[in-house]
Amino acid sequence: MAVVEESFKSISPAEFFYKNKEIAGFSNPARALYQTIRELVENSLDATENHGILPTVKVSIRELDVVPEGAYYEVVVEDNGVGIPPKYVPQAFAQLLFSSKYVLRQSRGMFGLGAKMAVLYAQITTGYPAEVIVAPIKSKHIYSFKLKIDIRENKPVILNFTTTSNILGKHGTTVRLITLGDWARSKQRIYEYIKRTAIIAPYAEILFRDPDSNYLLFERTIDKLPPPARETLPHPHGVDIETMKSILKSLADRPILESLVESFQGIGVMTAQRILAEAGIKQEKKSGELTDPEVEALVRVMRSFKDIKPPRADHLSYLGEEIIVAGLKKAFEPEFATAITRKPSVFEGHAFIVEVGIAYGGKVPVVEKPLVLRYANKIPLLYDEGSDVVFKVLDEKKGIDFKVYEIEFPSPLVILTHICSTKIPYRGVGKEAVADIPEIEEEVESALREALRELRSYILKKRKELEEIEKAVAIAKYIPEIANSLSKMYKVDPQEISVKLLELLNSRLKSFKIPSLSSVVV
Amino acid sequence: MTNDSYSSKIDIRARERALKILYEKFYDVLKDVSEGRPPKLVIKKRTLGNTIYDAERKLLLLGDATFERSLLDLREARKFMQTLLMAGIIYEALSNGEYPTIRDLYYRGKHTIRYRKLPTKSIGEENTWEEQAESDSVLRDIEVFSNVLREEMLILSKEKGKVVGDLKIRSGDDIIDLSKMGHGAYSIEPTPDLIDFVEVNAELVLVIEKDAVFQQLHRIGFWKKYRAILITSAGQPDRATRRFVRRLNEELGLPVYVISDSDPYGYYIYSVFKTGSITLSYESERLATPHARFLGVMMTDIFGSTKLGKKPYLTEEERRNFIIRAKERDIKRARELKEYPWFKSERWQIELNEFLDRKVKLEIEALAGKGLKFLADKYVPEKIEVGDWIE
Repeated sequence: MAVVEESFKSISPAEFFYKNKEIAGFSNPARALYQTIRELVENSLDATENHGILPTVKVSIRELDVVPEGAYYEVVVEDNGVGIPPKYVPQAFAQLLFSSKYVLRQSRGMFGLGAKMAVLYAQITTGYPAEVIVAPIKSKHIYSFKLKIDIRENKPVILNFTTTSNILGKHGTTVRLITLGDWARSKQRIYEYIKRTAIIAPYAEILFRDPDSNYLLFERTIDKLPPPARETLPHPHGVDIETMKSILKSLADRPILESLVESFQGIGVMTAQRILAEAGIKQEKKSGELTDPEVEALVRVMRSFKDIKPPRADHLSYLGEEIIVAGLKKAFEPEFATAITRKPSVFEGHAFIVEVGIAYGGKVPVVEKPLVLRYANKIPLLYDEGSDVVFKVLDEKKGIDFKVYEIEFPSPLVILTHICSTKIPYRGVGKEAVADIPEIEEEVESALREALRELRSYILKKRKELEEIEKAVAIAKYIPEIANSLSKMYKVDPQEISVKLLELLNSRLKSFKIPSLSSVVV
Repeated sequence: MTNDSYSSKIDIRARERALKILYEKFYDVLKDVSEGRPPKLVIKKRTLGNTIYDAERKLLLLGDATFERSLLDLREARKFMQTLLMAGIIYEALSNGEYPTIRDLYYRGKHTIRYRKLPTKSIGEENTWEEQAESDSVLRDIEVFSNVLREEMLILSKEKGKVVGDLKIRSGDDIIDLSKMGHGAYSIEPTPDLIDFVEVNAELVLVIEKDAVFQQLHRIGFWKKYRAILITSAGQPDRATRRFVRRLNEELGLPVYVISDSDPYGYYIYSVFKTGSITLSYESERLATPHARFLGVMMTDIFGSTKLGKKPYLTEEERRNFIIRAKERDIKRARELKEYPWFKSERWQIELNEFLDRKVKLEIEALAGKGLKFLADKYVPEKIEVGDWIE
């Protein structure tokens, strides 16, 4: 669940996060460098595609000084996104915040929380401030900040602020950090992350410069963007006690009936009245005055309340079949690629959409097991794949039997899975594997089978064509022998007989013609 | 025709006839191709299922079932190519006045076809035929398809059969007296149809399976004494020997007696002379001798038969010395023979049952071992005289 700030209200969690930095993925210099890149790139993609802008993201890592724990690196991530309004920049990058109101929106990152962690980590390890340059759309100026976090007070400290004229009419955000990292130990991970991101975002142009001065450019191969993710209210079936308490606290003075209608999707006045009646709560009661047992009863009734519309899915940002196929084609130049986007489905009050793409042949590596590229909310999941729901579907004993689809391993097969939802049920704190929720598992399996059926048709068609080609060659190679024999007996021109026989053979072939006898007989 | 001046007139006529038939029979293939139809050959099936025993004529004949061999049929394409290849080679050999053997035909046609496998374009290699069995097989198909036998196409095979007797023949442009062969014998030529019988002074034909026994009978003058034409097939009879025997019986009216080992293989050799073979049933009409008689060696010659009122030719002690225990495959073969329609006669069933009961066999040599004079002056003449043969 992503937390969106509505009215900004600070608590004091900076120190807490610093002490627990492994939770956010900053446990050591190698992990931290990878995590920093990830957080900044994901923010950049969210800042572009969610606002209808085809992303151009430039990522650069330079090594500055070598220190015992690793080295200092300058990390620069630049995008052409909407650009954060300058007045929000200090809070957005240098203050850890909680929101005042809960809304849900599918997003890659943790709404800046990750970026703030990156800033905090950089500041603590190297002492350098973060540099943020923003140019909102149509802004006449470009604003540059040098920021630090006052950890104890959890307040942004603006060290420097300059304004320059936006002559070129640029828009976007550039973040520059000097942070402690370990390129050698994180290189493989970072490359994998960038490549995987490029596969799922063929509509993005991504330029990556690594500390060894290698440049990697992923060109944009499609001009279509996924539908933007939009905010939505939580669905009653997905509410939990903690969320409910936070909502009630923020609307403490309002009658509980109003709070329910305002804070949840699918609840009108009538429904709210029925829910409250069932939970035994007076509708006029102030939201802040509900007792713990009342909150528990309310949550229990809401979660199981039948007569309510299923969660809306129109706010989800799925990729769509065209983008997935474009991504697979760009990465693998396969001979066959297809994708399936399933209709929205629901688990525990959250709408989700499963998408599956498969690519076969071409430059897809030949593998003993299908190569699986997993994504959740467009984020590549690189690790812990064994415990992911996708692997349950692919389990060699109980899962899908690929032979049914005419695939015998080793085979050049890659499978891409994308699960998008306002809540991804991750397994564990690493957020690298999706839990095997039955509803999700079922959707993944259905999508995969649907895609594999298309692959099967392709393989069968191709096999048939190949069989015909083989048959044609098997017969054509004898034509000169027959022509020779007939010419011995009847003094006819063997060339003429050969041509006629080839015509005859070609007239019987459906998917293929032999251009000339010399293309077959040596 | 380069060798015309030295070729016999009979050969020249045979060539012209074979060329004409082949030209006409394969013309449909050329016509199909010219008119844009898939070329095909309709050939009688040479299978056990299409082998019919004509009980009245006592012949194994090819049935009427046919199959289509088409170039565009993947399963038949290679055979179609081989058939045309063979036809072309034979046609050329006939035109050039040659006498190829089946081995020659195999070598003349054998070469490698190099082709590109598509879509990979890797080079594949395939021989027109690998083994002689393949080229022999299409030769048989051509014989059936054109109704011209290989002898008529002047294709030679190794001479195997031998003959002596008071008989003069014309072979090629020469007259040969088969009573003046010294200790040797006349090798029956591969084209016995081109032989003319000039003068005959004989009353019967005796065919001996074993070459050694044939020589023994020849050396003691059996054929002179009993006015016989003595022939050996030296094992399984080749086509020429069969055709030669048939002509002696059919054209000269001489009775034919066959002597073979007393085991299922010997009995089958006799039946090949008499009714034809399963693999070459299309030739039976010309090669088989339906009136050939099986003179021996019979099981009942060895053990006698109360049912037939027949005394054994061998004593208890001789039997102990001469008979051999039958092997498993002999017994299996005897059971097969029992089921063939042409072995279904009561007389044959007695012999086969006796064999299956006793599970022993006996070679002709064993009778010669009892004494050549016994074989020449008692066994053979006595059995002919009393009519102890199987028709």
